[in-house]
Amino acid sequence: MTKKIIIFVIAVGVSLTAATHRWNDSAHAIGVIKASGGTARHAVSLESGEDSYMLIATATVIPPYRGDVKVVLEGKPEMEYEIHSSGPIVDLGLHTWPKFENNTFYGLKPKDRPALWVKMKPPQVDPVCGMEVKNSPLIVFSGGREYRFCSRQCLERFEKDSRSYEGRDQVRGKYTLAFYDTKTGMSVLNIPVVIKGKGEKSDAGEHHH
Amino acid sequence: MQANTIIDKQSFWVKHRFKIILASMVLLLPPLAAVFQVSGDTAFCGTWCPRMFFSWRKDMSGAEFFLGFVRSYLGVVLVTAVLASTFLLGRYWCSHVCPVGGAMETVSRLLPRWMKIDFAGIPAPSVRYGYLSVYLLAPALGIGSLCCNYCNFATIPRFFGAAFSQADMAYFFRTAGLINLGLVVVLGFLAKGGRGYCNFLCPIGALDALSNRIGKTFGRRVRIDISKCTSCGACKRVCPTWSINSDSKGMSIDQLSCMPCRECEKVCGQEAIRYGKNER
Repeated sequence: MTKKIIIFVIAVGVSLTAATHRWNDSAHAIGVIKASGGTARHAVSLESGEDSYMLIATATVIPPYRGDVKVVLEGKPEMEYEIHSSGPIVDLGLHTWPKFENNTFYGLKPKDRPALWVKMKPPQVDPVCGMEVKNSPLIVFSGGREYRFCSRQCLERFEKDSRSYEGRDQVRGKYTLAFYDTKTGMSVLNIPVVIKGKGEKSDAGEHHH
Repeated sequence: MQANTIIDKQSFWVKHRFKIILASMVLLLPPLAAVFQVSGDTAFCGTWCPRMFFSWRKDMSGAEFFLGFVRSYLGVVLVTAVLASTFLLGRYWCSHVCPVGGAMETVSRLLPRWMKIDFAGIPAPSVRYGYLSVYLLAPALGIGSLCCNYCNFATIPRFFGAAFSQADMAYFFRTAGLINLGLVVVLGFLAKGGRGYCNFLCPIGALDALSNRIGKTFGRRVRIDISKCTSCGACKRVCPTWSINSDSKGMSIDQLSCMPCRECEKVCGQEAIRYGKNER
């Protein structure tokens, strides 16, 4: 009996740790696609410092919207991203699925529930001004890390007070996974994606995967 | 006794269990996932989700909670049918139909014995209900969630779909996906019997086991006839859910873990194990 109680307490402890810990390299957003502009249930929150992120976005098409929808990740500095859509591997013809090609859904119709997997790769940025510095030759090694700079001024500011800027070479800021009707150019869904600095508090109600 | 045993060793359910599991895997897992296509889904996620609808989140209104049932209405039907059938007939969903547990047991059987990890020393109900407590309480208290984050009903279909679909492959390109894969491999594929995940971490299995335990007096279950049992232990060795215990009184079955796979019945030379109603 004692063994059973001890194992139960351990299981509760491990499960609590797993439930309360958030993996900051992925998140799930749920939204609605509407002709008048759909919204997500809540913003997606990720933590800076990861090499890549995975955003899982699912949405329901609200009647009477029908159309083709282009999906883009907007925000500066630009991120490399790939979008994959879930669909049947072997289509048995039991349901009419919207086609997803070149980041565009073709033939979305009411009650469709498209699901997207967005793999995002953040660029390295100048820790002083936040600009993208992909191929900059201005490099400083500090605290075991390589920092790149857009200009000599930024590099000098960093060298004067490197402690304030350390760890700030990762993208932080607001992005949007935007869904546009290809005919009208109108937004039919916006999913805010917030990349926060390490340790910054997340919003309540976020649903992380 | 025979009169009360509705299915004997030669029965369809005993002889063809793995064929039924394979059929279920073909119909419910990628690449075909035929059953889900009827409702416009591709896997258990969405309309068929059997796990999220009964998870109450802090600050959730009654209407929002109810909407979860509507959104996953086929999952609600599935779980209700599973619990009701278990109450009457035992956990046939788990032993014969569930493609998730079935896939883990099937892969485990294909692996050599030296690779297997024996979890039988761990009291499964303690882990299972510790996990289920947190599964239900953490979102209700607003401190986190195990739902979705650690889900075998999401992981196993993606595992089988990853070779065909970039979206399924993408599931594993993140920490949570890799941890889920690790859990499925260690507690499923590499577990002796292949049912470690089912026995420890499946919330549906946990609810189903409760239904099995509550209905054991009324429903049909796998039972041991102590008067015939010689305590040879053959049944205990083949039980994938390590639910057969031995003590000074002989062998007994823990109905909180047992599923009617009836592997024990097949190996019992004394015919001391039967599936049927309680005779007392």
